[in-house]
Parts: sequence; structure tokens; C-alpha cells
Amino acid sequence: MKGAGKLRKLGSRLLLLLLVPGICCWASDFAALSAYHRPDPFGGIVASDQPGANWGHAIKLIAARGGYVSFQLVVKSDHTCSNCKLSIEFSQPVEVYREWFHFNTPDKHYYPDALVPVNLPYTFQMPDQENAISGQTARAFWVDLWIASGTKPGLYHGHARLLEGASSKAIPFIVSVTSAEIPAQDVVSIDSNTYGLGWLRQQYPKALNGSDRSNEDEQFHLVQQYYIIFYENRTTFHILGYSHAGYVDPGFAPELAGSGIQKHIVSWDKFDRLFGPLLDGSAFADTRRGPSPIPFMYLPINPEWPANYLWWGEPGYQTEFTNVMGEMEHHFREKKWTTTQFEMFFNQKKRYKGFEWDGDEERFPADYSYMLAYHDLLIKSLPADTPVHFIMRADVSWTMGKQMDILKNAIDLWCASGGMYVWSSDKLPELRQRGDTVWNYGGTPSVQDVSVSTAFDPLRTWIRGVDGFERWLAVDPGTTPFQSLSDGGTETLVYSGERFGVEGPIPSIRLKLQRNVVQDLDLLEVEAQRGDRDAIKAQVVRLFDNTSLAQWSHSSAPPPAGPVLDWTNADIGDALKPYDAQFPTPHPNAWQSVHDFAVEQFGGAQ
Amino acid sequence: MKATVWLVLGLVLAVPPARAGAPAQTEKTLDEIARVATIMVDGDVCQHILTPRALEHMLKHDPRDDWQAGDNYDVNNEAFIQTKKTLIRLAMIAPFPVDVNLWMPVPTTKDVHIVIRNKYDLSQFWNGDLEQPMPAPVQQVLKTGDRVTVAEKPGMVSVLAPVRNSLGEIVGVLEVVSSNSAPAHDEQ
Repeated sequence: MKGAGKLRKLGSRLLLLLLVPGICCWASDFAALSAYHRPDPFGGIVASDQPGANWGHAIKLIAARGGYVSFQLVVKSDHTCSNCKLSIEFSQPVEVYREWFHFNTPDKHYYPDALVPVNLPYTFQMPDQENAISGQTARAFWVDLWIASGTKPGLYHGHARLLEGASSKAIPFIVSVTSAEIPAQDVVSIDSNTYGLGWLRQQYPKALNGSDRSNEDEQFHLVQQYYIIFYENRTTFHILGYSHAGYVDPGFAPELAGSGIQKHIVSWDKFDRLFGPLLDGSAFADTRRGPSPIPFMYLPINPEWPANYLWWGEPGYQTEFTNVMGEMEHHFREKKWTTTQFEMFFNQKKRYKGFEWDGDEERFPADYSYMLAYHDLLIKSLPADTPVHFIMRADVSWTMGKQMDILKNAIDLWCASGGMYVWSSDKLPELRQRGDTVWNYGGTPSVQDVSVSTAFDPLRTWIRGVDGFERWLAVDPGTTPFQSLSDGGTETLVYSGERFGVEGPIPSIRLKLQRNVVQDLDLLEVEAQRGDRDAIKAQVVRLFDNTSLAQWSHSSAPPPAGPVLDWTNADIGDALKPYDAQFPTPHPNAWQSVHDFAVEQFGGAQ
Repeated sequence: MKATVWLVLGLVLAVPPARAGAPAQTEKTLDEIARVATIMVDGDVCQHILTPRALEHMLKHDPRDDWQAGDNYDVNNEAFIQTKKTLIRLAMIAPFPVDVNLWMPVPTTKDVHIVIRNKYDLSQFWNGDLEQPMPAPVQQVLKTGDRVTVAEKPGMVSVLAPVRNSLGEIVGVLEVVSSNSAPAHDEQ
């Protein structure tokens, strides 16, 4: 997304009203900001979010039911305060977070991103000693208001209050709850991905002190916390449990013993402790969204598991594979884990020297035969009438079009490069007819990008009509994220909460914004199913960045010329430039316009 | 998906599997495997693992594409599989988790690259890159043909041994490696 932003003709329905403060002679300012205008620690707005920003002393929001609506509160003061107190009065559930300002190394500016949960009333200091920013004059809070399903439509009034000694300031807010209901199931799967457990040991040095297998319970608990935070924020989570050379982390597979015809599962203990609560949904019992089994999960299958690579190409390989997978199917069936899609996915690349073929982003035609061979093994392992959903997934880029032909009827879930998919999008009807699921994948916007950038990939997913989008790495904030972000946070949407006394991850502003986008897409889909889908989509992209539907689905420029093996990443980047250039940098209020359209049009503002 | 950063992080932070027994006994076992490995691993076959095309891309630098060498990395399957299976069998000699990795020099450069790794992700030298500067102990084995024991990384022991081809040339180095960090058992 490049180019200058354009002001939205449709004005924001988030009204920031300037009211006379209740008490004079106050040295601090207490103000409200929309969720899309992130403050900086010096009393301003981060550069990318400045267009359309309004500091308000009252706020009005419009909300659907069964979801969250968000805004920010900012305390600005040029004097120190050791006993400031924030409180909020509202009839519906309120969740408040203090915003952490990260120094972003690439552009050397501060951005708020990590959200540290606080209990109200919350007593704090100005400036924030812990954030330790020289010259800090502003602290910020993220406010999530939960509007439960079935809430009576109407106007709901609340107040945010700042106390400093005997002085008090208040920001009134009004939430117009419409009759619109956000469906429980998301129309698109926005996925957060990661690999292995090494990152956990880096981010939780206290919980996993001296980490070895004796910290297993703590590790399992932390992994589950990641599933929970992503679920609560309307994204799915994938964690791959094996390495490029085939080592399976504890708990990600049942324990095996024996060799050849004797090879079998000897214990489900660790696997069931780690994944049981996720697969039966009980891990999510305390969430706003309620218990639900995880929709997707990587299996531990790789060239080294469950069959020993030593037997590859020999009868023992098939025997070990089919025996163990047959036992796995039996266990899953007994446990009634029949909702989750269990993915046989090969992540290894030959460049990492573990195996002789690429499972991920296949480029060499000779590697396709391995996928077909493993599909055959999986089919041989399972009863024809199994109620357990074992599927085969392929992450594709260079040769996605060719793979979609050659591997048809083998691959059930295609996870296709979000950029290169533009040259294969014409295959979608055929894939749909086969019953395949189609996702795109890509990265995560930087904190220095305009806040609404988090909406782009979820929106494009829905506009394209594919089923999901995977952020390929979403849990790695770097080694010292609370001092500085070395890469703009482009590999994370969550942070470790350990330094703040939270036993697990804490969310980010970008995750919250993405969640709010998905909620609105869910609403839009309901209406699209009732009415003219194309007209609704056309209106949405017009509101978002004044583009047309055709721009989102097709590229005017062809892929690079010549054989795929001769392409470079630079060639692909060049070929995608005309497509990318169609999308201007969206205005910070761009999604607010879509939100208002979704909620107001389909729910009726009060 | 481009996972190199994660991969390197994972290597640094991974809790490797464990070996049992006293250090001296461990070293003795690893040394014995290394001695046998030099006999069992066929250097001529190893020299056929990397394809000429992959080598060509390893040797060239494209300022517009940091990933071109990795994206074009390819091997001759038969040579790779034959050698990897030999390495797996050699590792099975030990009663505790061991990896046997194959290292080879990158022709026309002073670099080295790991050519085959195994399932415990153990190595004292691999930095996650396609190729890397030659570690001194690897260089020493390539020059002298002597086995060398290395215990630089905390908890890890490697015995390095030469790989020879039919001309008697030293064409590679085997890293027989284990770790004392502790899984309760082999998860595989």
C-alpha cells in the first residue's frame, strides 16, 4: 500500500466532542482518541496516524452485539504525578490496558503497541517510570468495551474518570448498540503462526527458568495461553511441533516405541495434556466467546515421524506410518475430536539440510511426487468412514498454479502466497468445486505503518473470497521488545506478559485492531449472504481506499517471464508492483468508515 | 515461508536431547562412532549430493535477492538418501541420542556448508546459514585427517572425523555430536 492517503468522504461516525472541562486549573489533559489514531509518549499522534486525528473530551461509538468496540484514553501532563487514578463507569464489561511505548529501531520513533491489562481503578504515575522514556508527557490506555450477544439495543452511557488528588476530570462516552449481531463463527480464518518452542524459553525466562523437560507443565500452559489469546481476539493459532530435520517437541506427538511392525504408540499422556483441552474446547471456557474446539492443528507428521527415515523407500516405512496413524485416528475418534481439521503439513526445506525435498513452498517439480506419496500413506492409514478430519495442507508460492493441478485431490488446504496468488486466483472456482480450502499467507504490518494497515489482509481475504489468511510468524517480538523493536514488530501480534506479572501473552494494539476488523467482516458477510454480495464488497473497498473490486482480484501485469526456476524474488517483486501500486496508503479512518457502514447499515444506529 | 530468523533462534534456544553416562564414556562412544564413520561414509557419493546448479547459485551474489541461493538449493536425491541413511545407522550405535552431520567445503571459497543434518538438530557449528565461514576444528580435520574432539558449546560434545573419496582425498568432515541436556526419553 503506497501513495498519499485520501480523506474519507464518509465522515467518521466516531464523534469526538469538545466539551468544557469540569474543573479549571488542571495541569493535565485527559482526552479520548479513536482506536485508529495512536498517541506518542510526547502528547502527539504517531506520524502515520495523524490524518483525521481528533483529541476529544467525549466520545460516541457505534457497536454491534457479540463483540468489542474500542477507543483510547490519553493523559497528557508536563508535570509529574505520583498518584493519578483512572476509573471507568459503564454498565457493560470493560477491559482496560495500559499502552506500552516501544522505541522502533528502523525509524527511531516511539509507538504504542503492547497492551498491559490493568484493573480499575488504576493508580499510576506520570511519567511512566517503567517505560522510562526521556521527556515523556503522555500515557495512554486502550479501552475495550464488550457488548454481549443479546444486549438490548439502545444508547449506553459511561464515564472515564481521571483523579489527581482532589482534582477530577471526566470523559463521557456513549455507545450506540445496534441490533446487529456478530456471528460466533468468523467468515475468514485470520491465523497466527509459529514454530517450535524455542521462542517460549526466550520470552519466559522466569516461568521456564533453567528450562528443560521438568518445565513441561509450564510450557504446555503457556502454549495453551497463546491459543486462548488468539481465539479471544478472533484469530486462529498454529504452532508447528517439529523442526526442519524432524525433531518433534515433547507433547506435540504421542510417544512411540519399537521398529517396523512393532512400532506403536506407547503414551498419549503429554499430547493429551497439551492438546486435550484445546481439542475438546474446554481451554476456552473462560473466554468471552465461550468454549470451542480449535478449528485447525498441525500434525507432527514429517519425513522422520512417525516412520523412521531410515526405512524411506522400503516396506518398513509404510508399515510404521500406517500403523501409528491408524492408532492416532482411533485415539482421536475415541476422544470425539471430530471438529478440528488435523493437517498433514510438510514444512521442511532442503536448504536446511534435513531432507532431500522441499515440503514448504515447493519450487522443484521432482518434489511433487513426495506429496502424492504421503497422501497415499495417509489414505492407507485411515478407515474410509473415519469421522476425524485428517487433511493434507500445502503452502505454495513459486509453482502454486502447477501444484493446484498436479496435486488435485491430494491437497485439501492450500495456503498460498498472498502476493503471488493474484496470478492463480482464477483457479478458485475449481478449487471450490473440489471442496478445497484456500488461504493466503503473508507478513504483519509494522508499528510504523498506518494503524489501519492491519485491516488490509483480512479485508483482501474476504474480498477475494478465500477462506483465510495466515501471518506466518506472529509471536516473535525480538529479544528486547520493551526496550526496542528491531523490526517494527513485523513478526508478532502479542508480547510476553511475564515482566508485568501476567502468566502468558499480552495483546497488542495491532491484534485488537485486527480483531475489530474481523468482527465487521463477519457482519458484512451476513448481509452479503442476504443481498447483493458484489455491491456490498464494492461499497466496502470504495470506503476503505476508494478502489474497485477488480483491482483487488486481478493483476494487470503478468508473472515474470520464463521458467519458474529462473525467477528471482526481485523478479516477483517487480511483477507485483503494478498490482501493489493500485492500493494507496489508507487513511487512518478508513476502517472506521467500513465499521460504521457494517454496523449502521445492517444493525440500524440508535 | 521465510523462516530463517526463526530457525536460527530455534537453534540457539532449543533444548537438545540428552545423552546418558559419564563425559569420558560419552566421548569414547562418539569417538568410536567417528572412527567407524570414516570407514563407512563414501566420499565419492558425498561429492554428488550437491547439484552443480545449486553450487552455482551458492557462489553467486544477487544484490536484489538475498534468498536466491537458498531458493535454488537442490540435491541429488539418491546420493543424499544413501548418505543420510548411513549417518542414521551410525548414530544408532550409541545408546543415547546422537546426530551424525556431514560437512563439506564450498569449492573455490574458504567456506564450509553442512550438507546433511539429523533429527536432534545437534551441532556445535551450524549457524543456520546455507554456508558459513570454516570453523577451525573442521579446517583442522580437512587438513590433517585426524579426529578432533570439540566441547565448545555448553553441554555438547562433538567428535569430528574425515570423509575420504576413492582417491584418498579428504572431501568432508563428519560431526558426531551429542548433548547432555535432558529429555526424559527419546520423543521419536
